[in-house]
Amino acid sequence: MTNNLPLSHALADVLVLELSRTWAAAFAGRLLADAGATVVLVEPADGHPLRHEGPFLQDHPHPEASASHLFVNAGKRSLALDLPAQAHLLLPLLRQAHAFVTDVPAEELDSSGLSWPRLHQENPRLVMTRVTPFGDTGPYRRYQGTNLVCLALGGQMKVTGDPGLPPLSNAGAQAEYQGGLAAFAGTVANLLLAEETGEGDYLDLSIQDVVANNLEGRSLTFNLGVMAQRSGLCPSAVYGVYPCADGWVFVNAVSPSLWERLKAAIGLPQLDDPRFASQASRLAHNDELQAIIASWTVSMTSDELRQLMRQGYPLTVAETVASLLEGEQWRQRCYVHSVRHPQAGEVPVLGPLWEHPPEWSPRPAPLLGEANGELLGDGDRQG
Amino acid sequence: MDWRTGRLPLKGLLVVDWSVFWAGAYLGMMLHDLGAEVVKVESPYNWDPMRTILDVNPGARGAQQALPPEERCNLNQHFNEWNRGKLSLAVALEREEGRRVLLDLLAKADIFIENHRPHVKEKLGLAYEDVRRVRPDIIYLSISGFGQHGPERDALALGSPVELASGLFSLNGYHGQPVPAKTGFSYADPVSALVALGAILLALRQRRQSGQGRFIDIAMRDALSFGIGSAFVDWAINGRERPRLGNRHPTYAPQGVYRTYGPDEWIAISVRNDQEWQALVRLMGSPEWATDPELATAEGRRRQHDLVDQHLERWTSQHCARALEAALQEAGIPAGAVLDYRQLRLDPQLNARGMTQEVQHPLFGTEVRTRSLWQRGPCSQPIDRPAPCFGQHNRYVLREIVGYSEHEVHRLEEEGIIASSIHPTPQHD
Repeated sequence: MTNNLPLSHALADVLVLELSRTWAAAFAGRLLADAGATVVLVEPADGHPLRHEGPFLQDHPHPEASASHLFVNAGKRSLALDLPAQAHLLLPLLRQAHAFVTDVPAEELDSSGLSWPRLHQENPRLVMTRVTPFGDTGPYRRYQGTNLVCLALGGQMKVTGDPGLPPLSNAGAQAEYQGGLAAFAGTVANLLLAEETGEGDYLDLSIQDVVANNLEGRSLTFNLGVMAQRSGLCPSAVYGVYPCADGWVFVNAVSPSLWERLKAAIGLPQLDDPRFASQASRLAHNDELQAIIASWTVSMTSDELRQLMRQGYPLTVAETVASLLEGEQWRQRCYVHSVRHPQAGEVPVLGPLWEHPPEWSPRPAPLLGEANGELLGDGDRQG
Repeated sequence: MDWRTGRLPLKGLLVVDWSVFWAGAYLGMMLHDLGAEVVKVESPYNWDPMRTILDVNPGARGAQQALPPEERCNLNQHFNEWNRGKLSLAVALEREEGRRVLLDLLAKADIFIENHRPHVKEKLGLAYEDVRRVRPDIIYLSISGFGQHGPERDALALGSPVELASGLFSLNGYHGQPVPAKTGFSYADPVSALVALGAILLALRQRRQSGQGRFIDIAMRDALSFGIGSAFVDWAINGRERPRLGNRHPTYAPQGVYRTYGPDEWIAISVRNDQEWQALVRLMGSPEWATDPELATAEGRRRQHDLVDQHLERWTSQHCARALEAALQEAGIPAGAVLDYRQLRLDPQLNARGMTQEVQHPLFGTEVRTRSLWQRGPCSQPIDRPAPCFGQHNRYVLREIVGYSEHEVHRLEEEGIIASSIHPTPQHD
C-alpha cells in the first residue's frame, strides 16, 4: 500500500539477544523476529526449557520436536552455552547488540557480569528489557511466579470460570503472553529513544503489573464498589455463548441496534413479544429469552451461523484449531506458514501479526546451538 | 524512559484517536503514556458507546435510576479508565464541514487509530486514502475483529466473541471437561491493544528512516490465536486438539487452584520440580499421604494428580490465602492468592509498584486511576489529567493545535459542527 518495506522488515538492521527460560521473554523475542530483527536465543547446553515442555511430536519427548519450541522460537538463531560458566561469552555479542531481552533473575545476571550498569557501560546504546513475574522492586520482587500465579495475583483468574466452580486459568500461557507483548512493545519504544539520543534504557516489566493493567472492569470496583463475578458461558441472554448444532456461538445484542439485527437474523415472531421490547425488559425476562434464543441456535450449524456472521449479524462462531487452519480468512491474510523443520517436518507457524509480503515465512525454530560456530568462532564451538 | 526529565519516546507526536469501546481506547492511552498528545475524536451523533452503553454509575449522585445518556456520558467509569490523559474533540463527522475539521486536525497528526468496520470509514470519507491526501506520512492503524479484507471483514467484533473465533475458547475449560470456557472479560481487547502499540512503534521507526507512513491492519482474532500458537503445531504433528488442562500444567505437578479459608477464597500453587514438591511436603508437616514414593517424581504426581489435589485442598482450606501464599513463597514454592478486584487494589506489590493514583474529575470527583505500565516502581509515572468530558477540549484543539481563528471556532460552535454535549435519540436509552 505504501513504498515502505512491510512491517515484517522494520527491524532488519537490529540485533537482539534473548536470554530466556519461559514464555514471556520468548514471546517478545518471537515478535521482534517477526519484525525482521536478528534474534539470538541463548540456551543452556541442554536446551531452552520450552524444548522440554511439549507437546511433542507423537508424544515422544525430544528437544527438537516440542510444539512450544517450534512455535515460539521460530525465526530465531540458537546459541547454546554452558550457563552460567560461559556467560562471559555473551559480552562481545552484547557490545554489538541493540537490545537484550531476558527473564533471568537479577542476582544471576549480576553474578554473570550481565547486570544493567555493566552492559550500559559496555554498550551505551543497548536497550535492556527484563520481564519477570513481579519486577525489580516491591515486597514480592523475590517471589517465585509462574503463569498461573501471575494470573491469580493479577486479578484475571477470579472472574474466569463458572460461579459454582473454582476460578479458572485460560489455556496456554496467557499471563506470559501478555507480559511478552508488553516486553516487545516496550523494547521497540526504547529502541526509538536509543536511536534518537544515542543512549539505551532499561525496562523493568512485571507480569503481575501487565495482567492487572489489562483487566477490564477494575475501575468499577475501585470507584463504585461494583464487584465483577465469575459468570460462566452465558452472563445474560443477550450476551453469552450458546450451543449450536455442531459447536458454539456467541450472541451479542447488548445495544438496541444489535438487538434489532439479532432479531432479523433469528426471524422468530416470539422475539417481537412486549416482554422483550426494551433493554430493561429483556433483562427482566432473561431466562425465557435465553430459552427462545437457544432453541434457534441449536437448530443452526456453525457453517450457517458463520454466513450470518460474515453479513454483520451479531453472532460469532467458535472455531477450532483445525477449522482456523482450513479457513478462508487466514488463507487470504497469509497468516499461516507451512515451515519445514529438519526434525519435526512441516509445521504450521502463525505470524506475523502485521503486514508482510505473501512470500514471507519465518525461519524454522533453530536446532540447538546451530549458530554457535557462526557467533563464537571455532575456538568456542560447543554443543 | 524517564517522565521526570521528559525522556519519553513519543514526545512531540500527535495522535488522533477515533476509536470506540476498549481496544483502541487502551491503545490511545498507552501512546499518551509514552509521551504523545492524544485527541479523542467523537461525534455528537456517534460518540464512543463506552460512554453510555452501560450505566455503570449506580453510586454516582446517589441515583437509583439510570442517569440519562447526556449526563452519564461523562461519568462512565469504563470510559474514564481507558481515556484518561486524552483531549476531547466533538465534531459532527457526518457533515461535510465536520469531516473537514477532522481532516485539518489529521493534517497535523502523526498517528490515526480507529476500529470502525471498513464500510463505516469508507462511507464517511475517512479511509486511509482520504487521510493520506492531507497527511502523506500518517500512520493509520485499524483494529478490527478479523482484518480489513477477506470474507470476514464485515463481521462484528467485540473482545469476548472474538475469543470464540480465535480457537482459544475451544481450548479453555476445566480439566477433562467437554465444555469450553471463555475468559471472564473481554480478553481480546488488551491483547490487540498491545499488538497494535508494537506495530505503531515499528512503523514510527520506519517513518524515521524512509519519511513514509503506512496503513496497519490489526486483527483481534489473529492476536489471540498467536498466544496459543503451539496448539496449531500440535494439531499438525499429532492430529489432535490439545485436551483441556484447566488449571493444570503440561509438566509442573501438582499445579492448581485450591480452596482456602473463607467464602470464594482460593490460592494458585505451581510445583515446578521435585525440590519444590519436597519443600511443600515439609511445609504441610510431612503427612503420610505425601510420602508415598510414587509422588516423589513429577510423572507419579501427574498420574495421581486428582488424589494429590484432594489432599492438598484439605490442607489449604484450613488457611487464609494470603498467609498461605507467604508461607509457600517463604519455602520457595510459586503460589499466589486468587485476588478479586478489591484485593487487587490493596495488593502490597502492585501498590509498591505504583499502580494507581487518585485524580480529580470535574464531574465525578475523586477517581482511582491506573498509571502507565511503562514506568512502574518507586518513581512510577503520575497521571497528568482525568478522562475528558465530551467536547471538553474543542476550543484548545482547534485553536492551539489546528490553528483556527477565534472567529472560525465560534462559527463552528454556532452551526453545531462542534459540540459539547451528545445528541441522544431514543435508540440510545
